[in-house]
Amino acid sequence: MDNFEKHIRENASQFDTQKADRAKLWANISAELQKAEPKVIPLWKRPMLRIAASVVLFLGIASFIGLSIYGGGIIETQYVSKELLDIDQHYQGLVSYQVELVKNSPHLTAMDKEEFLSFMDELDVEYETLRTEIRTNLDNERVLEAIVANYKKRIELIEKLLQQINDAKKSDEDYGYTL
Amino acid sequence: METDIRFTHQTLVEQCKTGNSSSQYELYGLYVDAMFNVGLRFLGNKEDAEDIVQDSFVDAFKKLHSFKYESSFGAWLKRIVINKSINHLRAKKVSVVPMDDHEFHLTDEEPEAAEVVDIKKVQLGMAQLPDGYRQIINLYLIEGYDHVEIGEILDISTSTSKSQYHRAKKKLLEIISEL
Repeated sequence: MDNFEKHIRENASQFDTQKADRAKLWANISAELQKAEPKVIPLWKRPMLRIAASVVLFLGIASFIGLSIYGGGIIETQYVSKELLDIDQHYQGLVSYQVELVKNSPHLTAMDKEEFLSFMDELDVEYETLRTEIRTNLDNERVLEAIVANYKKRIELIEKLLQQINDAKKSDEDYGYTL
Repeated sequence: METDIRFTHQTLVEQCKTGNSSSQYELYGLYVDAMFNVGLRFLGNKEDAEDIVQDSFVDAFKKLHSFKYESSFGAWLKRIVINKSINHLRAKKVSVVPMDDHEFHLTDEEPEAAEVVDIKKVQLGMAQLPDGYRQIINLYLIEGYDHVEIGEILDISTSTSKSQYHRAKKKLLEIISEL
């Protein structure tokens, strides 16, 4: 560094010749600083929240691992549940329609109706057992088959009963025609 | 004693970190004129210098939590003002370093030793320096940065900073000699 440079550096303050408009600049700075900013609260700095965050993180990781291991089963169960729901809706519609026909039939005695409904109740209990089973039993296919069989049995029972009613009606009518 | 310089106005700075506006105003009052002169030297006009100084103080107060006394507050603030000034000039397509096409002539050029010159003449000479020359003279002679720091500020290599500075200094001395 030569004398020219040394002299300038030592007298650098002499280059500060101007004065700022302090009031004007501060007014703008102050206004800018007071502008409402979305305040960022560093939650992680609070010990309790740090612990809570750790717990949440731990649970998150545990859930992730759990899903990775058992996720397939859940998807399968969901799929089966959907399948079961479809079957359920289909047969429920058929059964309740035919049960109503039986209940309203004028050709059946109260005893016949009661007997029929008690059979239906037994099948309902069996059906509920199967529904519980399907939630826990991994061998869903067999349980589903049992559920379908349960419905078929009910429908068959109803159909037979209706057949009896129709036969009875026919013989009555034949008899009438004979007359 | 370098440590003492870094901790200049530490109490005030710490109060500003808490958002205390009277402390902010006090700190602003200590540095505003110096920063305004820095901005003025780089930008050459009062309006731009005021804008840059305002922005710099706003940024400094908002980011004061990141100030860790690695330098003095004044040096930290000045670097903000200079960086903003350089960016402002670049945005306006004003050269911040001398033209590159002459650079290869400078590598072997011997630095020219010069004697003490009256500060008033230096000021007049600097005002006549072309764009690009003035910035590097400012940074080295008045703001007191070394060539490594200038390289960082202007995004050039240390050797380029040295060669460009010597070229700018030569030009300044030529102008001064003609005054």
